[in-house]
Amino acid sequence: MGEKPIRGEQKTFMTGNEAVAWAALAAGAEIMYGYPITPQNEIMQYWTRLAPKYEKRFLQTEDELSAGFTTVGGVLAGRRAFTATAGPGNVLMQEPMSMAEAMRIPTVVIVQQRGGPSTATVIYSQQEVTLTCFGGNGEGLRVVYSTSSHQELFDYTIKAFNTAWKYRFPTFVLADGYQAKMRESLVIYDPQEKGIAMVPTEAYVGKAGAPGEDRAPAHLRNTYNIEEELVEVLEESIKEYDQMAPQITEYEEFNTENADVLLIAHGIVFRSVAMAARELTAEGLKVGYFRPITLRPFPQEELRRAAAKAKRLLVVESAYGQLLKLVKENLYGMDVPIETYLRPGVGITPEEVVTRAKTILGEEE
Amino acid sequence: MEQEQSPPRVLEAYIGEYASGKSENAVNRAVELALLGRRVNLVDLDLVEPCYTLRPLKKMLEEKGITVLAWDTSELIGIGETGNILKPEARFCLRRPGDVILDIGYGAFGVQVLNLVEGAAEERDLKVYAVINIARPLTAAVTDIVEHVRSLERVDGLINNSHLGDETDLEFVQEGARVVKEAAAVLGLPVVATSVMEQLAAGIGERDWYGHQVRVLHRYLPQAFW
Repeated sequence: MGEKPIRGEQKTFMTGNEAVAWAALAAGAEIMYGYPITPQNEIMQYWTRLAPKYEKRFLQTEDELSAGFTTVGGVLAGRRAFTATAGPGNVLMQEPMSMAEAMRIPTVVIVQQRGGPSTATVIYSQQEVTLTCFGGNGEGLRVVYSTSSHQELFDYTIKAFNTAWKYRFPTFVLADGYQAKMRESLVIYDPQEKGIAMVPTEAYVGKAGAPGEDRAPAHLRNTYNIEEELVEVLEESIKEYDQMAPQITEYEEFNTENADVLLIAHGIVFRSVAMAARELTAEGLKVGYFRPITLRPFPQEELRRAAAKAKRLLVVESAYGQLLKLVKENLYGMDVPIETYLRPGVGITPEEVVTRAKTILGEEE
Repeated sequence: MEQEQSPPRVLEAYIGEYASGKSENAVNRAVELALLGRRVNLVDLDLVEPCYTLRPLKKMLEEKGITVLAWDTSELIGIGETGNILKPEARFCLRRPGDVILDIGYGAFGVQVLNLVEGAAEERDLKVYAVINIARPLTAAVTDIVEHVRSLERVDGLINNSHLGDETDLEFVQEGARVVKEAAAVLGLPVVATSVMEQLAAGIGERDWYGHQVRVLHRYLPQAFW
């Protein structure tokens, strides 16, 4: 064992990518697999700088397909393993993460969204919501945390390892290029010292004893030759996913009582929305917000409750309707009108949200 | 004759750990010199993320009379990710009249990017300053700073830029000054300045607790989107 990377609480000033690397260290991650892509590169860069000092390991693979599969392999061997990617890398990552879904492998993936489609920009977007939530050829049995600050990047990266290993579903921390690159202060800490116990890891393969006699066989499969067997396995996983959902779903809300406009946003855009909501409230307008923190599973009941009390909704995102799709699906059957402010691949300021909300409020009068 | 009468040129390159405050210090230095009525060239030498930090500030800095050698948004339209190149004027920046402030971007090669600047190796008046923030875990302690600065190869002085963004207090700046001073002593380098954001400037004066010159920073970089 190397020395502990963090002792006590340490106030620091850093980029989001560094916050992820430090969080993975603090969570006791043992190995990162990865392939470079902007804007997540400094997660790898800082991990490789820190790894030797704390006896951690790193493997640079030939592409993201391989980075994803080696992460699956590391976890099968019982290692707390993770990877990080963005954009087209996240596209390639979907096949190995589908395998992780199929075999219930607790992989952890950090996604720093960039502009799409394809290579697009290296900078920023919220266009990987659909991909990260439902990208595989399956049912999206995965957990997706959408962060909005460096403190959350640190906290939720640690949490992602625990959620993954406790429930055995692939877990994603979904951030973006702005969170990756911008600088702000945060407190880094050792989770154990804060009373956060790390869920122990275990090897899926190579266990002691004779399979079938001393222990159950490690019968890990991502392929079935009859459809009846597949549906049986999937129904069991779906049941466990649905049982897990209420235990891990997270959201944040403000001023949801009788809002004339309820703003809905996630990730970094939520910060602009929160500022706008507070500003508009200070002006005496009835504006609230709802922020899903888990995009998978989605806080459906909580959103429906808030939406039922609102005159109309305003969905704000740096994508052309990916959060909107989740919102509509989860509000199915309700008749609350939904307005939008959709800006794929560019940042959204509080001023823009204020202007859009005021336009909507003006239309109402 | 004419050259002797004119004030000596200020030639400074700002280098340091990723997100240490290189650009903020370089931009503020350029503004400070421009306000003295000097002719100032501010050069973006970030080859990893060229134009991202200075680009959004370019127009505002040009309005202050600074010549900014960084790409314009309009010059980059039509070019993909791999189209980022060094702006040709940046290569010959030391040949321009007036002061030259270089904002050296991060990257594996650090100060080696100066090899791309004509005359940098021979120019004895060019000073390379390492910007240090002890709130960054990899430059938090004296031994870390010494190791970091040695890895940069060519450094003429240290700047204490210790801060925690909006949560900075003078106690933290002072602790930074103490740690940077100790590291500078080990390295045999001067501490060129302590940088402090303008909100805290009144509490510190022209010299910090250890006699280092104080530079007051206006935070321009939050105007850049990242």
